[in-house]
Amino acid sequence: MSDKKRVSRRQFLNYTLTGVGGFMAAGMLAPMVRFAIDPVLKTKEGGDFVSVASVDELTNEPQRFEWTIDQVDAWYESEVQKTAWVYRNENDEIVALSPICTHLGCTVDWASNEEYPNQFFCPCHAGRYTKDGTNVPGTPPTAPLPRFEFKVEEGMLYLGETKDSGGGA
Amino acid sequence: MRWTKADTTQYIPEKQYIDTVIIPLIPFDPGNDQQMVKQAFQRELNQVFTNLIEKEYKGRIFLAPDYHYLEGSQANETERINRWIHKFKEQPFHHIFLFTFDSKWKKYEAELEGHVLWVPGMGSGDIQSTETQSFVKEQAHQISELIQAYW
Repeated sequence: MSDKKRVSRRQFLNYTLTGVGGFMAAGMLAPMVRFAIDPVLKTKEGGDFVSVASVDELTNEPQRFEWTIDQVDAWYESEVQKTAWVYRNENDEIVALSPICTHLGCTVDWASNEEYPNQFFCPCHAGRYTKDGTNVPGTPPTAPLPRFEFKVEEGMLYLGETKDSGGGA
Repeated sequence: MRWTKADTTQYIPEKQYIDTVIIPLIPFDPGNDQQMVKQAFQRELNQVFTNLIEKEYKGRIFLAPDYHYLEGSQANETERINRWIHKFKEQPFHHIFLFTFDSKWKKYEAELEGHVLWVPGMGSGDIQSTETQSFVKEQAHQISELIQAYW
């Protein structure tokens, strides 16, 4: 055993302090890095598409489809019922409209008012929307009904989140 | 609209459009083992009902906080309910509905300053079952039609 291989008190203290200090620095930096790249790691909640109906069921007349999703808020985890009015337009494209009135959030119905058989009607304040979801001027709503994002896979219609149609009549 | 921060914030500037209140009347008797389960079920059912109606007519109906009272104390409660109603009318709300499964309120309807919406309800059952769900949906639909008749 030569003395050269022995660790001196000074070296030992150096190593230990560097080691412990390194750990402490890493412990402080890791959460910061995590915060910095957090948006990248975050999974998008509620962005999933849900199978709602078979494409064969869709007609030119808007039909009401219902499904439930699990919604996680800060305090509650709950099942929320979602609804959409879905139909095929003249160009055979699928249109999925949210039934939530853009005025104050009531649920609109298709052709529920006899005077306007080809419009969406809101029972709360007689708000109206044409078949493509555009709000009728002179009625309370100021924006068109939002549309659901959708995709078709293996004959099933999947709906995602709503996006504003933009504009407003 | 509900008694929550988000909804009340939205309510104040849009007051003119929201003219209807539903106050759920919920009886309970914590000292009675026989009645406890039934009353708890009726309370759950009442909340499912009123939440469903509120969701459909969010822009016109305000759902008040639940009005709880001791089972069988209707005679002493009419005055307190009327005090609630007066406060709501100050807003101004024009249509006040009292939603309950407790048939004893029918007898006191004349003294109350709101419309009693009494629904027979269900004696027992499973709140999650599909039968209960279709029952509630069907009944809630008819109640909404009744409320619309007042508008």
